[in-house]
Amino acid sequence: MTTPALEAQGISKRWPRTGAVLEDCSLRVERRTVHALIGSSGSGKSTLLRCLALLDPPDSGSIRVDGVLAAGEGAVAADPNLRRSIGVVFQEPSLFTHLTALANVALAPHRVLGLDPGDAHERARRALDRVHALHLGDRHPEALSGGERQRVAMARALAMEPTVLLCDEPTSALDPMLTREVMAVLRDLALDAGTTMVVVSHDMEFVTAAADSFDFLHAGRIRISGSVDRLGTRGVDDELDRFLQRS
Amino acid sequence: MLRALAPLLVLAATLVAAADDGLSRVRSTKVMRWGCDVSGGAPFAFPDPSDPDRVIGFEVEIAEELARRLGGRAERFSADWLALIDALEADRCDVLINGFEVTAERKRVVSFSTPYFRYAQQLVVRSEDRDRFTSLADLTGRPIAVLNGSASIESLDAAGVPPSLIVQYDDSLAPFTETILGRVDACLQESFISRFFAGHDPRLALVDATFDPGVYAVVVRKGDAALLNELNAALAGMQADGTLGRILQRWGLWDDAQPALGTQRGPVVATIPEAQGTPPEDGLPWTLVLWSLARAATMTALLTVVSMPIATLAGLLLAIAILHGPKPLSRICHAYVLVTRGTPLLVQIFLLYYSLPALGAWLGIPELLTWNKVVVGIVCLAANYAAYEAEIHRAALQAIPRSQWDAARALGFTRWQTLRFIVVPQSWRLSLPAIINDLNSLIKDSSLVSMIGVQELLAVALGIGKASFAVPSMLVAAAAFYLVLSLLADWFGQSLERRARAVRALPEPIHR
Ligand SMILES: Nc1ncnc2c1ncn2[C@@H]1O[C@H](COP(=O)(O)OP(=O)(O)O)[C@@H](O)[C@H]1O
Ligand SMILES: [Mg+2]
Repeated sequence: MTTPALEAQGISKRWPRTGAVLEDCSLRVERRTVHALIGSSGSGKSTLLRCLALLDPPDSGSIRVDGVLAAGEGAVAADPNLRRSIGVVFQEPSLFTHLTALANVALAPHRVLGLDPGDAHERARRALDRVHALHLGDRHPEALSGGERQRVAMARALAMEPTVLLCDEPTSALDPMLTREVMAVLRDLALDAGTTMVVVSHDMEFVTAAADSFDFLHAGRIRISGSVDRLGTRGVDDELDRFLQRS
Repeated sequence: MLRALAPLLVLAATLVAAADDGLSRVRSTKVMRWGCDVSGGAPFAFPDPSDPDRVIGFEVEIAEELARRLGGRAERFSADWLALIDALEADRCDVLINGFEVTAERKRVVSFSTPYFRYAQQLVVRSEDRDRFTSLADLTGRPIAVLNGSASIESLDAAGVPPSLIVQYDDSLAPFTETILGRVDACLQESFISRFFAGHDPRLALVDATFDPGVYAVVVRKGDAALLNELNAALAGMQADGTLGRILQRWGLWDDAQPALGTQRGPVVATIPEAQGTPPEDGLPWTLVLWSLARAATMTALLTVVSMPIATLAGLLLAIAILHGPKPLSRICHAYVLVTRGTPLLVQIFLLYYSLPALGAWLGIPELLTWNKVVVGIVCLAANYAAYEAEIHRAALQAIPRSQWDAARALGFTRWQTLRFIVVPQSWRLSLPAIINDLNSLIKDSSLVSMIGVQELLAVALGIGKASFAVPSMLVAAAAFYLVLSLLADWFGQSLERRARAVRALPEPIHR
């Protein structure tokens, strides 16, 4: 068995006032596959994703990136080298407002990876091209639509050539028109052999078409996981059926 | 046995003290540093109305003559009058010659030479009150204006005038203008000042009877005995050979009271025109005056232009330390901001300026003593404004959403890289309007450093105004200069804001 790109074991997390949000969550994302995280609102998907992105430390459990222990007992605390091998696209695009779209994408390759500006820009252009946004490079973030912003945010994450790209409902802040635009790009990325992705999504059409495997979260626990084929058959789990019915 | 030794001990102590006293300093440097306040007005030491960059006055001439007789030249040290004794004690000058009346209270902290001038108190009233008020007794229950810190206050005190009726002003001209305006019914000052300011003014009348005579003397540090002896010898010489008499005559200050001090009149000399006082209607030499103001405005601009960038940068570092520094550093910086914002700038300027010599001695850096006043002024303004800028930066830094930090962290930026390349460039745009607003305040606050003698716009304008009876028009002129500086600051601020709003195309210029 090959080393998975991302592996989490027994992740638990509680917020001071909310109480337990994640309980004993384990998942495994193989290289060059697309993994979907599904579940109703408040089930803990974003919290799990932030743990996987090494932005918030889990209370217990461990996370391995490419086989390297990144969080959990014995891990080097918040190693930026490991963190940047995980790209994240958040629900809100959060572009850097003082930079053009191209500079948004080129900044981290230049400052974090230490590429010279010319190479950083070359990489940024390639990343923008992958999300069909090369023509937006000179734009001010405020002069972009919500969908365009989200695509630039994806390019920004891709330009770091991460081992895994994590996307947290990248369309939740968008209207249906823009959602379609972003989902199309996401789908292209997902179907592009070579990308490893974890996508939180409500869009079952997208999940069945583009994802290889899934985890279904309910009240902080992973209830069902496996190949997306399993989503076709009802009656495996009541909660999953109810969830599928709603979405 | 001990008794017999006492004179020897005193002698030994004197010798030890003499090793680095004022006199040996004056002798070795051939410079006598004398302190005065040039904004105190005529005829002491004041800007020449026809060439405001020059300081003239009878005490300027006395200082120059004394320095010459001590074997050196006179170097003027200017500071606010109330700060002069502190300046002397901080060794910023060797002597003070600026209308210091010999009083028992002052004798406790400093030493006085033999007197060089004898004055008496003289009342001035509005001319229409000439016959109504002919003595202090006629003014019972009425407010009387005086110069603050002057002997006139003690005279009124001794005469039983309640403090609430003694109205104090910062300069010698104001009591007269207040009398003319009717805010007070009389003013009391030394007779020659009353003559100088009120003698030519038809709106004012001098009350003939003078009272409470007193004397002016040179002030030296207590224990500076060798310098005091030399000064007394030099003064005695000036009194005997008519040099002092000549100076007093030139300035229209000679009267029957002077020979009582042992001063010889010498040959009769005419009063110089500068000693008469020129009323405003005779006109100011505006070209020269504006030129002086322009140069003083350059000083104000310099103070602002140097201290504001320092304050802005220091404020940013303080804010970052408060928000992101290790706990102890964060606490210290927060305390600095609280204390600096919570105490008056004026007090900070005074404390820093007058504690520098002691601080220099303690740290073993004697250079601190000779720190230029302008440098001290800039340090004070920058240190004070840094606290205000820190609060502006702090608010702006906190206004940058957490999601920006998350996005940066996910890309692998460290905390400091995030601040430097992502958060600060964005918060800077938010803080800029408030900082430009403070830049405008600083232009005007910079006038406070005139308290330690920096000749900036307001000090120069007031100095000229008082010497030529034109305080209101000089204040208007100064205000016009301030307005120009302020408009320039706004224009500069707007171009900065425009630049800050523009998005940067590239993380840094590409060198192809
Ligand atoms: N920073 C936080 N502090 C406290 N509670 C939080 C925080 N973030 C999320 N939660 C809580 O954790 C639970 C799961 O939230 P989330 O992971 O955002 O769910 P989902 O993304 O599946 O909608 C919710 O009840 C939410 O209120
Ligand atoms: Mg969520």
